[in-house]
Formats: sequence, structure tokens, C-alpha cells
Amino acid sequence: MTNGWIDIKNTDMMLIMGGNPAENHPCGFKWAMEAKRDRNAKLISVDPRFTRTSSTADLFLQIRAGTDIVFLGGLIRYALENNRIAKDYLANYTNAAFIIKDGFKLPEDGLYSGFDSEAGKYDFSTWNYEGADGSDRQAGTVRHSPDVVPGKAGGATPPPHLPPNVAFDLALQHPRCVFQLLKRQYSRYTPETVERITGIPRDQFVKAADLFTSVRKDGDMKKVATIIYAVGWTQHTFGTQIIRTAAMIQLLLGNVGRAGGGVNALRGHSNIQGATDMAGLYDSLPGYLKAPVPADSDLDTYLKRITPGSSKPSPWASFNYYSNTPKFAVSLLKSMYGDAAKKENQFAFDYLPKVDRDYSWTHIWDDMYNGKVKGMMAFGMNGVMIGPDTNKNINALKKADWLVVGEIYPDETSEFWRAPGITADEQKTINTTVYRLPCAGFAEKDGSMTNSARWATWKYAAVPPPGQARLDQDIVAEIFLRVRQLYKKEGGKFPDPILNLSWAYADAAHPSLSQVAMEVNGKALADLTDPTTGQVIKAGQQLPGFAWLKDDGTTACGNWIYSGSWTEAGNQMARRGNEDPSGLGVFQGWSWSWPANRRVLYNRASCDPDGKPWDPSRKQVWWNEAAGKWVGNDVPDFKPDSAPKDHMGPFIMNPEGIGRLFAPIGVIADGPFPEHYEPIESPIKNPLHPDQSNNPLVKKFKTPYDKFGTPDEYSIVCTTYRLTEHYHYWTKNNPMNVQLIPEPFVEIPVELADEKGIRGTEMIKVISARGTYMAKAFVTRRLKPMMIDGKKVYQIGLPIHQGFRGIAEDEGRDARTPANLLTPAVTDPNAHTPESKGFLVKIEKA
Amino acid sequence: MSQAATELIRISGHAGTVPGAGLNREFQVCKLVDTTTCIGCKACEVACLEWNGYTFSETTFNNSYQTMPETAWNYWNLIKFNEHEREDGTLMLLMRKDQCMHCEDPGCLAACPAEAAIVQYANGIVDFQEANCIGCGYCMTGCPFNIPKFSPKARKVFKCTLCNDRVSVGLEPACIKACPTGCLHFGTKKEMKELAETRAEQLREHSGYREAGVYDPPGVGGTHVIYVLHDAKNPELYGGLPKNPQVPLMVRLWKHPLKWIGNFGIIFGVVGVFIHYLRYGPKVVEGDEDKGHGAKP
Amino acid sequence: MSREPYLLPNGRVLRYTFHERVVHWLTGVSYLYLLFTGLAFWSPWLFWIAVVLGGDTISRELHPWFGLVFIVGVSLMYKMWHRQMKETPSDKAWWAAIGHYIRNEDDQVPSADRFNPGQKLLFWGFFWNGILLLLSGLILWFPQYIPWNLRFLRLAAVFLHPVFALATIALFIIHVYMGTAMERGAFGSVIRGDVSRAWANKHHHTWYEQLLRDSAARK
Repeated sequence: MTNGWIDIKNTDMMLIMGGNPAENHPCGFKWAMEAKRDRNAKLISVDPRFTRTSSTADLFLQIRAGTDIVFLGGLIRYALENNRIAKDYLANYTNAAFIIKDGFKLPEDGLYSGFDSEAGKYDFSTWNYEGADGSDRQAGTVRHSPDVVPGKAGGATPPPHLPPNVAFDLALQHPRCVFQLLKRQYSRYTPETVERITGIPRDQFVKAADLFTSVRKDGDMKKVATIIYAVGWTQHTFGTQIIRTAAMIQLLLGNVGRAGGGVNALRGHSNIQGATDMAGLYDSLPGYLKAPVPADSDLDTYLKRITPGSSKPSPWASFNYYSNTPKFAVSLLKSMYGDAAKKENQFAFDYLPKVDRDYSWTHIWDDMYNGKVKGMMAFGMNGVMIGPDTNKNINALKKADWLVVGEIYPDETSEFWRAPGITADEQKTINTTVYRLPCAGFAEKDGSMTNSARWATWKYAAVPPPGQARLDQDIVAEIFLRVRQLYKKEGGKFPDPILNLSWAYADAAHPSLSQVAMEVNGKALADLTDPTTGQVIKAGQQLPGFAWLKDDGTTACGNWIYSGSWTEAGNQMARRGNEDPSGLGVFQGWSWSWPANRRVLYNRASCDPDGKPWDPSRKQVWWNEAAGKWVGNDVPDFKPDSAPKDHMGPFIMNPEGIGRLFAPIGVIADGPFPEHYEPIESPIKNPLHPDQSNNPLVKKFKTPYDKFGTPDEYSIVCTTYRLTEHYHYWTKNNPMNVQLIPEPFVEIPVELADEKGIRGTEMIKVISARGTYMAKAFVTRRLKPMMIDGKKVYQIGLPIHQGFRGIAEDEGRDARTPANLLTPAVTDPNAHTPESKGFLVKIEKA
Repeated sequence: MSQAATELIRISGHAGTVPGAGLNREFQVCKLVDTTTCIGCKACEVACLEWNGYTFSETTFNNSYQTMPETAWNYWNLIKFNEHEREDGTLMLLMRKDQCMHCEDPGCLAACPAEAAIVQYANGIVDFQEANCIGCGYCMTGCPFNIPKFSPKARKVFKCTLCNDRVSVGLEPACIKACPTGCLHFGTKKEMKELAETRAEQLREHSGYREAGVYDPPGVGGTHVIYVLHDAKNPELYGGLPKNPQVPLMVRLWKHPLKWIGNFGIIFGVVGVFIHYLRYGPKVVEGDEDKGHGAKP
Repeated sequence: MSREPYLLPNGRVLRYTFHERVVHWLTGVSYLYLLFTGLAFWSPWLFWIAVVLGGDTISRELHPWFGLVFIVGVSLMYKMWHRQMKETPSDKAWWAAIGHYIRNEDDQVPSADRFNPGQKLLFWGFFWNGILLLLSGLILWFPQYIPWNLRFLRLAAVFLHPVFALATIALFIIHVYMGTAMERGAFGSVIRGDVSRAWANKHHHTWYEQLLRDSAARK
């Protein structure tokens, strides 16, 4: 979330799409209801199904799963055509005025300029700003490339970099300026096209577009709209691009950085934000630092690659906060390796593993299936159930040597060998050794949880773990200590990273999470003095925040964005102050929000270029001329003393200082602007460019389980979802939840049921190219047949909760088939998220 | 009983005066259910079970999100889900929390023959006292909302207490506490009525629900659970909420005219035959040695 | 029936057989229980009866079971008596003279068969009300099995069950009065079974004549 849960109450307009917060985030949805009650805010729900969120909406549109970019692109077109955009915001806070290199080509045929069909990827050199006075051609500027996996080590062409001095046209008239390109790109996304592809009748689409953009009617900047989404957007082969389209709309309408605005991802688990922050993905280090790759031959090369140089129109200023990257990276190394990280050994940079290829979720399973991964430790997740293509994953586990599962219930992963279809004879041939470790549940452990709003909140154990269950950190610690002992005794190829890992906890076998949290916050390793204020931090003291981090080895910090969470003043995450003087729901004293306890990101953009709030009734931060600094109800997300006349961009994490309508040099691998591609399994060819129907960057695996259906056999669009009554794969073990929704079901439209002669509660089969799912039919009017490109298309949906372990399953009230055996293992090229939210199936009576 | 007996304003099956009759409490309690902000999360259902100590009851999938077809003796709070297609083709998923309405003029209490099995407190709560319940089920018939439910095991009838145990010590009912969206409110009847009317007006003016209104049916003297409905003209759409609930005519006829006619009739009959005896005496059989009963054969 | 020796050797007439007397009291006792427990539920002022009879819950539990016993008794009575309870052409005349009957001017009342039309009314009154009480009572016994959309049945039962009961109470008051206070000898007949010849001749002249004829024929 750029904003936060409570902040939703400040909005005037909500577009909820790719998410179902009423069901999956009922507590947070309170704020949406509050906005409706207290501000007469409007709610637009766009979803493949009429959900419980839709029931509270002012307008509901049923969209075909996987066509969100068409809808949002249409919305961009509508806003531009009807002049419902934030002109000043656009010109000053986004790259609308930036001029793009000659040679850049829009994807009218489905491909941007620079596509290498053999390698299946783009050359990003034309996806760049034009340098003013030819500065882009100067050599020796600091490079910035997001490409975390460059070709082979020492590849032939250096990755492109942004010009330090960008050519621009504030009148937004230059034919190659971002604004004009944007206009051209989305001119194809007419209401007719929207209807043809998404299935939303054009009058309904126009109604929604008119309602949403009404916040910028006549250029008035007072009102604010928010866009709220969840994994209904991410789980596509173009998921990142859907979210980018939303971000672009919000930039166009000037809604980012403002109370009641922003682009708000609703995270699906209580602490998944925290997991992501701590390097949830294989290609990042804690705090979203990019992981080293083999080409990073030394620390210097690595830091140069990941530290961007500023890039902006010359009259403007840019904070370019990521220029501090070396401080974050070196402090992380000091935190990881302690005294073993020295200037002389490049702070033990060599200890860090180098990421040489894709190790994302679907690759792990493919590697295991192909015998490359021999064992797996699965903690806090039900691996067999959560990913796509369950049958493949079960068959991969059969080939593994060992599997360790840390869970609070016997789950499908630890009992994969009991999956339906595996006979007793076959079970005897499975040689995977499974270790099941009973773990502590959430109420049995302390620590912090970071919610969607980036609030890290400290919690306390309510009860001790039952029986033999142990805390996760105790299990991990014991494994680590034993492995370290082995390395000590037997040596090995490269024992140093293990032997020198900092493990400075009072009780090594039972690390206290408080100590871990303090380590994450970081401390001074030498006496530090702030040159401007003269404030001194003594060696050994906790750091007040990431501004104190140094790249010379005098600070240690486990995750720079969490610096400030546990200071000398104590655990900031445990704060429970409930004062909110501004009434905007900022609650500065409640828990702690990264970064630097800011509640709304980019909040400088809540003010006009002169530093005055766009809406005086929702004052977040503002420029105080007398004091010469930014002040406010929130912590300013900005250089505190940069006066408005400096024209520093509010998006300080981008080297340009602006919000990116155009994503340059491949920060998004599949295009600078989002383009609609059909899901890998789709009922139609992409009407925009039938020859390039799918995302050209998507790769398919080659196992017998990676099969794909065609619309002539599998004509029904299927999507998956969660229910408010259940939490993922746990609560099917809790009688109270099982009572609320006792069995799995498949939601099918009345018309489809009539066609197939299926009545509600009858058992049916849902068949994809990868497997057969069985559950009872839920015949409903909440899904309607749609006209897609002249074809009648049915859409069905099924919840993912039930599998082959749980109360209903054990009682035999469930067909025991996991929903994800239907979904394909194809992923988004940026975030590696699988396409679970739109694929093809057929149904028949069981 | 957690409420003082002197606050009882109605007692079922009770002869004579009621201790709290005529008592005018400063406020009467009321639960407000705003169906337009209900998201059907069922937190109220679970809170109700947990507070009242009921646990798991087996359910089966019934082509709905609804937990079970109707409330049960051990399931007092149920969200009813209804798909409704409007004339313009748009769909509504109406979700209404069903529970005891705590009528001002409760049909269950009127129908109950057992002394103090059902009482009404001065704050408006209608509460079953299961110790006094004889399990006749008349309350089930007297209720226009299909709320009281018979437990075959206990052979008594149960229903929502409006968390009388919580309310009497100054807490809100469990369902209110659990509601995440603020769709449920609890306060005095006056406050809730005002809040509900304000919300209904807002819905009429800003959300296009021209028929939005408050459900506080006068046929039962008003209720201590009131609804804000998108369409107050058609409460039946919300899972069978009656348009004009009444204490059933049959119960009224039975309790009032029939009772008096019957009482009069019985007394008249007994007195009548006595007077007849006094006037005409027995039928005597002349020449009969057997003049009365008890004579030897 | 007429084959039984109704004229007893001791000069008396057998009015009710042992079987008839047992059925009568089976029905009568169960009716009394139903009456008292019913009255307890009828009015709060009489609720104490239920307490006296073993408790309010027990009364509610047993009332329907006694109802079944009562219905069994009524059925047996029907089997025994329904032929004799048939309306005959002479009944009209009896009813026309009801005023004389009430005023004990019995010489002006047409002679009666084994059961006079008043008794027939009592019989059919109990019979039909018994059936109606059974039907409405079954609904009241198991209201939880009557679905909500058939709720009118429960409502009807709530009202009609006491209506039918009141009808039987009216009959019952007259029956008890006639059988004990008014018609001397009648109570004895339903205890011991026999009445005097004079009694039979007076109250059920037609029947008595027939007995005499039958007896003569048998000889």
C-alpha cells in the first residue's frame, strides 16, 4: 500500500478490482464503509464474480478474468479524452513531459521495439529518455539497471542507463514526449474495444469511467480516488503491468501521495508484507536491495550496478534517495557477518550467494521435478496447495530425497504421498523421507507483523506452544548451529560464510525475536556524529533511523527500511499511542510504519508545486516557509529542507524524482507502458494483435504436467479465490470455520447449469488440461454469461481452501481434490507470480 | 437472571401484577443492523456461538454462502443471503443478520402459557428463562419472525437473548463487538432510530436507493432490533423479513375473546346445572328400590 | 349384543357390560387428566394445577400421551356404540320435547332406546371433537416439525384446540351432572353395570321393551 488501511476512510472514490476486501480483508474493509458513510464516497467493483465486496458497491461490472489492462487502459483513454486529468501534477510530478528516444516503438503489433524473438526478451536501449544536449551518449555516468539477471557473466553489451539530463517539453506537445506516447498507446483502448475484450457493455464501462474520473471534473484537485487490489491482479502472466496501469491512472489523476488516494495492495496474510520486506523473493536482499549476480565480480561493481545516478530535466532537483544504496548494502553485510566483514575483504561481499538464474517458485518445483532439487524445507506454507499445477508438485516431491515441513496441522504437503489417486502400492515406491516438525501458531509466538499498510506491530505470545511444538526460530537456530558444527568439524568447500555468520544472540539455540528485531534496526559500531545537528550516537547504541547508515563499516543494519523500528528509545513497534490530531487516521504513535514511520508514501505530492496542500481539508504535509522546512501531520516523505522553488520531484525513490508513466530501460521487463495480452489459456485470440496474443516474455516448462488447453476443448474461463469463512488452508481444521462453509464448491452461472442440466449441490467435475477438480455446484446469478469478441463465454469460480487434509476431508465430505491442480505454472516475467486467476476449463456432471 | 426482577415489565403465563409494570426506564436498548454495509463475513455468527458457549453443529453445502437454512436452537444469529435481480438487470446480494427482533409487543410472550418462561425487561430485552420453559413451543407459533427454536435434546425452546448477560453489566452484545464494518450498532432506541433514519436518508439521496428506509415494524409495537434496508418497501427480499409482522391474529383471538368466552362458558355451565338441580332436582324413578347410587345390588 | 342376557337373574337389568365400563373409565380418566392439565395451560390462574399434577414440564410432556389414550378410548367407544348412536326418526320428537325433559316432565318425553338423543349428542360431540383435538393436538405436540410456510396450521391449532376442548367441556359438564346428580342410578350403572327394571323402563323404555321381547323369544 502506498497509503494505509485507515487512510481509505479519507477517500471520495474507490475502484476495487482484482481484490475482494469485504471477504478477504473484512476488518480493513471497515474503512471503505466508513468512507461511504462519512464522505458519501463511491465504490466501483470490477470483478469476474459479483462478490460480497460488489454487494456494497455503487457500481458493479463483471469483467472477464485477465482483461484488466483493457479496462484500465480504457479508463486512461477516457480520462485523457475528457480532460479529467491533473495537469499540474502530471507536468511536474510525473515523466509526462520527458522525451523518449527516437526509435522507440509502441506495441501496435503486440511488440515494443527491441524484441529479440530468439532469446524471448527485449533489448531496452530504445526504452529510454532522450538526453538533453546529448548527455545520454556521454560515457562514464553511473549506470542504473534493474536487470538482476544479466546474460552470461561479462555479457557483451552493457545494460542501458538513464541520461543524467533529460530532454523535456512542459507543454506536453512534443510528439515523442511520454504524454503524447501515452495518448497514442491507449487511443486503441476505446469503449468498443473494452466491450469486445472484457465483456463489459460499453455503456456500463463509460458509466464507470465517468464516475471514477469525476474526481477530476473540471480539473478540480480537491477530491481523491483510491485504487485497491489484491492477488486478482498479481496472479497473471502480466500481473505487474496491471498494477502499473493502475499506478499510471493514479498519476494521471494526481491521486498518489494523497490522503484517500494511492495504489493499495491488500496483502493476503497478516505478515506477508514483512516477509517480502525481509527478502521474500530470491532476487532481492532485505530492504529490496538487489541480490548480487555472477557478473558482480566485487563489491564495487555490485554497488555501481545497483546504485542509480540521478536523471532529470536540468532545471529540476532530484533527491535520488537510492544513491544511498551503498550505505544500506554495507550495513547489511556488517549486520550479517559482524567483525568478519572488513574493508579489506570488501565487507565479506564474497560470502553472499550470487543469483545466476531464475529460482522463483515455479522453477523450484520444476527443478525438483527434473531432479535438480533434492530436498525442501517448507515452513509456514502449504507448498503443495498454494502453487499452481498441484499434480506436478506432488510428482516432484515423490522424486525428492527429503522434505521437512514445519506446520501447526498435518497438511497436504507433509502428506503429499496420500494425495488422491496415489494407491497403497504406489505409496510403497515413494522414497521421500518426510520430517514433520510441529511448530508454534501465531498466538504462541511474539515478534512483529507488518500489515498491508507497512505497519510493523509488535505482538506478544498469548499461550505457550502445545505439546512438542517449537518456535520457528528455535528450529532454524538448531539446524544452523548443527550445520555450523559440521562445517567446523569437517571444513568443506567454502565454510567461511557459515562459520562467520553473526549469531550474537544471548541464547544461541533460542534466539529472542527482540534481539533479532534490534539487529534488524541496526546499531552504531563506532561513535557517530551528525555533521549538521552535532547529535552523537555512541558505539553500540541503536540507530535512530536509516539516515545514520554509513558505507564505511561503522554501522550495522539488518534491513535499512526497518531502521528506526527499535531505537534507543525502545521498541517503536510496540507503541500503542492512539492520538490522531489531524483526524486523518495517521496515528503516528501507534506501532511503527516503514519507512521512517511515514504513513502515506510520496506525501509531498499531496501539495501543489508551491508546497500547499491540494485539499486544505486533508492536510498531510506542507512547506513551512518561515521554518524553511516541510512539516505536517505525517512524516514528510521528502528532503525536509528542499524548498518548492528547487523543484525537487516528490517521488524520491526514483532517480528522476518523478512518478513514471513511462517505465524506462526495462524496470518492467515486458514494456514501458502496459499492453493487453491474453492469459496463456484464453477463449479468444487477442483482438488487438492476434499474432501476438500472449505476453511475449512468458516461458513454459517442458514437463508432461505443463499442458495447456485450447478454447475448442476447454471453453469456460475459470478463476480461483478465497472465502471470508476460511483462512487459506488452515481453518479447514477448525470446526467453527468448517461449520460456516463445510464443503468446497464451484460457482457456476445459472445459464451454464441449465445448459448442462446441473442443479445446485450436485457434484461436478471441473477439468483443465492439467487435472480434474471435483466439488458441488453452486448455481448462482452472481456470474453471468458474457459476450467476448462475439462469442458467448461462461466464467466460473472456485475457492481454493479444501484439499485432502481437514475435517470435511477426513469425514469424506469432500472429493479431496486441491483447486490448484487446475492452474498452469506460467508466470509474470517481473514478479514470477503464476497465472492462477484466469485459465480454461470444461465442466461435466460427476 | 441477571436483570433485577423489578425491571420485568412483562411476564409470560403470569397471574396478577407484574413487578415492573409501568416502570419507565430512562432508555430502551436497541440494536441497529445496517444491511447496506453488511459484508456477510459471519463474524457475528461466530461471536454469538462463542459467547453463548455453543460449538460446532454439522452443516452441509446448500447452494448458498448461508451457514444453514434458518436459525437453530443453538445458532441464534444467522446471516441470510439472497440474490435479487432488480428491474434494471443489476444484481444485489442482500445479506441480513437474522436474530430475535426483541419486539415491544412480543408474540412469543403473548403465546407462552408457562409462568415466567419469557420475560420482557424494562430496557426492551425479551428473554427466555429456560428453567421455566415447559417446551410447549407456543412461542414458536406466536413469533412472526420464526426465531424461537426447539431443542429436541433439552426439550425446551431457545433464542437470542440480546446478550442480556452482557448488556446488564454495561457491555454491548457479542455480535456488535465482533462486527468489523460498523454495520452493527448498539445504543438506546432513540439514538439508533435517529442513526438509522440518517443513514436511510443518505442512501436515498446519495446512493440511489430511493426506497431505502428503516425497518421498525409497528405491528409488534416496534422492535429493539431495527434494520436499515436498501428497499424498505420489500423487506421480504431479505430472507423472509415480514412486511407487516403482527402478533398472530389466532394468538390474539385465543388469548382474548376466546379466553373470556371460554371462562364465562365454563362458569355458566357449572352454575347453570347447579341452578337446574335446585329448581328441578333429580329425575326420580317411581317404584324403584334403588333411589340413588351406592345402593347394594 | 342382544344375545347377552341383559335381564339379570336378580331382577335387575345389565345396563353396561364390563368391557363397556372399562372403556368408559379409560376414556373418562384420561379426559380428566387432559381437562386439568389443559386448564393449567389455558389460564395463568389455573397454572397451579399443573404444579399439583407433578410439575409443569411433566404436564406438558404427558398431556399429549393422555390425549392418545383418550383417543383410543373414543375409538373403542365408537366400535362398541356407533350403531346404537345412529340417529333414528324418533329422535326428532325427543328433541322437540327437550323442554319437558329438562323440566323433569318425563311422561311427556318420547320413550328412548338404549341411548337417548341427548346421549347420542354427547357421544358424537366427544367423537368428532376428539378427532379434531387429536389433529390440532398433533400439531401442537410437534410444532418444530411444521415448516414455516405451513405456519397457518400451527396458528389454527393454537386457536382451535381450545375451541374444541371448550366444546367437550360443555358436554362434559352436562354429562357429569346428568350422570351423577340428576339421573339417580346412572352413575351406579357405569360402576356396577346394572340398573333397576323401573329405571330402565323409565329412562330407556324402548330398549327395555325390546329386552323383554328378546327374553321372551329366547325362552
